[in-house]
Amino acid sequence: MWRPRNSQLFIYLPYHVNTTKPMALLQRELHQPIAYLLAAIKPWGLSPGLVSVEQFLTHVFRVAAVLPDRRYAINLCENRYLFMVAFCAVIVKRGTNLLPPNKNSATQARLQEIYQDIYILHDGIEVLGSAAAICLLTTPLPLAGAPVHIPDVDPRHLAAISFTSGSTGDSTPVLKYWQTLAASAVINRNAMLGELEGTLYQLATVPAQHMWGLETSVLLPLFAQVCVAETKPLFPQDIIDTLVKLPQPAMLVTTPVHLRSLVATVVTVPLSYIFCATSPLTPQLALQAERHFSAELREIYGCSEVGSMAVRRTAAQEHWQRFSAIQFTQGKTGVATVSAEHLTDQVILQDDICLINQDQFTLGGRTGDMVNIAGKRGSVQEVNKVLLSFTGVIDGVVFMPQPQGATTRLAAMVVLADTVSTDKLRQYFRQHLDSAFIPRPILQVDRLPREESGKLPQTKLLAYYERLKNGQ
Amino acid sequence: MANQSAAELKMAELLVDALNLEDITPSEIDPEAPLFGEGLGLDSIDALEIALAISQRYGLQMRAEEASTQEAFTTLKSLSAFVEAAQ
Repeated sequence: MWRPRNSQLFIYLPYHVNTTKPMALLQRELHQPIAYLLAAIKPWGLSPGLVSVEQFLTHVFRVAAVLPDRRYAINLCENRYLFMVAFCAVIVKRGTNLLPPNKNSATQARLQEIYQDIYILHDGIEVLGSAAAICLLTTPLPLAGAPVHIPDVDPRHLAAISFTSGSTGDSTPVLKYWQTLAASAVINRNAMLGELEGTLYQLATVPAQHMWGLETSVLLPLFAQVCVAETKPLFPQDIIDTLVKLPQPAMLVTTPVHLRSLVATVVTVPLSYIFCATSPLTPQLALQAERHFSAELREIYGCSEVGSMAVRRTAAQEHWQRFSAIQFTQGKTGVATVSAEHLTDQVILQDDICLINQDQFTLGGRTGDMVNIAGKRGSVQEVNKVLLSFTGVIDGVVFMPQPQGATTRLAAMVVLADTVSTDKLRQYFRQHLDSAFIPRPILQVDRLPREESGKLPQTKLLAYYERLKNGQ
Repeated sequence: MANQSAAELKMAELLVDALNLEDITPSEIDPEAPLFGEGLGLDSIDALEIALAISQRYGLQMRAEEASTQEAFTTLKSLSAFVEAAQ
């Protein structure tokens, strides 16, 4: 087993928010593997198999050399290795990665409108809008220059802007400075993996553009001995097929939606770790997953604004344990706040937290108007606004049917003008909403059950919905 | 009413059931209409649910990268044909 020559690599150093000392782009040794390719990347002359940190850095510099002199880069790469190279190349070139919550045309157009000094980085998908687009697979890269070195990054550099996986294009931007990303990667490494004696091979099913995917499949390999696969399999058989090909020891980074279908398969592979996040996991499913893969499953609690903050072994524990670097406080109104040295601001949590003591808490439902659909967080009010902005809608309301299951979607009740159909409304939704938030079903009615005041209490709406369902 | 074969109707019922498509009647799904994006407007979360339902009912494992799977997920007709061929 490989042991680190420099044990200092694995000591967590607390950072102060206003540090100016440059921080390395990664904390790895050049010869270590950082990626495991299941398929060749022919335009880059890469065969399937291991890619070393040194090779990775070569690609980072070569890509940086062809990036335009624009501030913002929408990183749409599907291939995780290409995403990682692009992500770092943008940072090396002192640019900012924009990580959109979806690939909708409306989102793309909106980002280009707001962040005008912009271009798109991708690996072959269809690109919309007027901004310059660079396909990493077809753009010729210059030859490798000087011997590779690990570059330093200004901690105050705005490395990325993550968008809370909102329902519509104008979700709140979350600014990610390099200091925050690097510090949280070290925190996550210590909290999730501890000291690794050798390389841990990772398969993640989540997009790199989503904070959970960014933290685990992009940042962790930069700061821990993690070697990540470039694929993002969806179906259980594909996930199993990939895990079989990965060297051991292996870890799976996934969500409850994927786990549900995985435990239903007959075939299995032994794993060393499973990490699950983004939407609530039941202890039953956690136990099934642990048995299926003979591995401990740890569920991580986090949010876009903070990143990962707490952990629990769901099969055995109800309580969450905070990461030691993150502090939770709860005010008299019940609102929970999170703070940490590496965060530029305190963050108010959207969830119903119940602090048991300083280190542990339980989770209630969501406060207010936010819902979680298959791991994506969105605002019901925002979706409602989109519904009401459609010219054919005379009246309408969007709501979450109860009880909410793992894949329950928003529903909509609408009164439509004679000239439009629900199909037209669906088309409109498709242009403006992340697919997870498109209401389904869309029930057409003559009138909404509003009170005289015009209000529509949730209980009345849900009761009416039940009657409509049973009447069919 | 859409022109469905018996097998296609069965598959339509599986879709409506697995995806909770409450506002759609199985016999109304046009066999030639796209399942994803346009037409029925399904997304990747739905693809996973469908693959799960098919594996549970028919014991078939689908692989996303295979041409046969990508072809199968085009329309109700192609999905039904895929399952029939594998029986």
